[in-house]
Amino acid sequence: MHPILQSWRRFATWMAAWVPIGAILVLVTHLSGRMRWLEAAMVIAPAVAVFSFVCLSPFHVCKSLPLRSARPGQLMLHHVAAALLLTGGVMLIARFTAALLAPNFRGIETRFLAAAPVLSLMVLLIYEMSIALHYAALELEASRRSEILARDSQLKALKAQVNPHFLFNSLNSISALTAVNPTEAREMCIRLADFLRTSLRLGERVTIPLAEELGLTKMYLDVEQVRFGGKLRVVQDINPGCANCSVPALVLQPLVENAVKHGIAMMDEGGEIRMSVRHDQDRMRFTISNPFDPEAPSTGRNGIGLRNIRERLEAFYGSAARLDIELEERLYRVTMTIPVRMHK
Amino acid sequence: MKLRAVMADDEELARRLLREYLATEPDIEIVGECSNGFEAVKAINEEKPDLVFLDIQMPKLDGFEVLELIDDSVAVVFVTAYDQYAMRAFDAAAVDYLLKPFPLERLRAALGKVRERKSPVVRTAELRQSARPPGEFLERLVVKDGPRVHVIPAGRLDYAAAQDDYVALRSDGKDWLKQQTISSLEAALDPRRFLRLHRSYLVNVERITRIDANSKDSWIAVLTDGSKIPVSRTGYAKFREIIGGE
Repeated sequence: MHPILQSWRRFATWMAAWVPIGAILVLVTHLSGRMRWLEAAMVIAPAVAVFSFVCLSPFHVCKSLPLRSARPGQLMLHHVAAALLLTGGVMLIARFTAALLAPNFRGIETRFLAAAPVLSLMVLLIYEMSIALHYAALELEASRRSEILARDSQLKALKAQVNPHFLFNSLNSISALTAVNPTEAREMCIRLADFLRTSLRLGERVTIPLAEELGLTKMYLDVEQVRFGGKLRVVQDINPGCANCSVPALVLQPLVENAVKHGIAMMDEGGEIRMSVRHDQDRMRFTISNPFDPEAPSTGRNGIGLRNIRERLEAFYGSAARLDIELEERLYRVTMTIPVRMHK
Repeated sequence: MKLRAVMADDEELARRLLREYLATEPDIEIVGECSNGFEAVKAINEEKPDLVFLDIQMPKLDGFEVLELIDDSVAVVFVTAYDQYAMRAFDAAAVDYLLKPFPLERLRAALGKVRERKSPVVRTAELRQSARPPGEFLERLVVKDGPRVHVIPAGRLDYAAAQDDYVALRSDGKDWLKQQTISSLEAALDPRRFLRLHRSYLVNVERITRIDANSKDSWIAVLTDGSKIPVSRTGYAKFREIIGGE
């Protein structure tokens, strides 16, 4: 179905646009056929009413004959044939109306015939314009869709991938555990598999419920716990009741991974990661803090992960989301604030 | 001949695995286990081992920095989760590298290379630096200060002056001597932050307060601490380029 016919609003706008067009056609008929105003209006009105629907008809033809790919000859043939046929139809309706009015308005048929050549040219012109408009609208639609697609794929690409460094170190831990503690080695395999599977699954999606993101974060920390043992301590303070709030997929876990990689791993004595989730009616706030050694060697790729998350938040929420970083003497804190949206 | 080995890795499990593997090699004796870079430098300089197993990412000093601070006579085997691409450059400075997780056979092959090694590789500063993945500038410099290690963040370096085979690194009013050519130091630091104003001087751009004309083709740069650095014609051109570009 034509998009204009899909909503009353659009349909009303479309019909309103036909009032001035009808008025111009009445004027043309009045001038070229020396018909009186009333005669012209009565003859033109039914034809214009039909014509307004006729001008929606290029939609399907334009879709099946796109400007870029259709052969020019075929394109011209179709549109010219349709234009001539439909103009003829509209003119016939007007001619028929004039015949009906003939008993009351003497000589109306002759006057109409005098106006017919100019009138049919006008009708043809308007129909051609509607074809052009349809092509323009379709083109606009296509470019908008490709923009959305580009944004989606950009969002996918920006999504944090499983960090190979983390993966290989975890495998090395498993390798170390196999001889001394096979049970724990098996446990570690299962934890790692859980994390990878969930991470792959969630990575396919754009937004997910908060509970799933928190679950993934926990799986990640479970694996790291084996690697770092007592060096890694986690304190969670999660405000219950927002489990079903929507968050961009894989936005929290990379922040926690940063806290481990650039913070805890670089501390000789390890440290505590504090994680809190708070929300009110319209905002959710995530805070992740970790101790860090200001004199630690560079851990590489600093900030790229954060910039990535910032860009994703921007794409999702515009200026409604924030990512703030605070550095206190030996404490690093990231605060992420996003609008509350329920997950569908 | 018994090989004396030191291992440095911040993960207990990784050390345990290496210990377990090495236990199958009767001619290896582990003389030190370290969990950070400082400990590693200390243990290597004290124990003078034949062989070091070195992780890259560690607290205090990373593996590259440790490499800069130890003798050429020590054979280095990197043990890391780094990907192969980044590891290619290591060939120059290390005897071998093991990618975690690795099988016992792979470790034995590395030990074979260590035993075959006739004479120590001379690891010049350039060679040591080439171990670093390309495209990254040094954020800090490490200098041996007797038994201790001194770390100078790049931003705290005022200038470096060439002195024969050494460079004198000026930072916080003190000079630190490091065995390195000024050209290799220049190549390792961010060229937007450090300018080679003279054949023998590399200067932190942020420290320059002004440049005065001295004679027809020479200038003098005055730094925030009052130091005066000679500026050559090409050095002056580079400075103009940076200032003009801002």
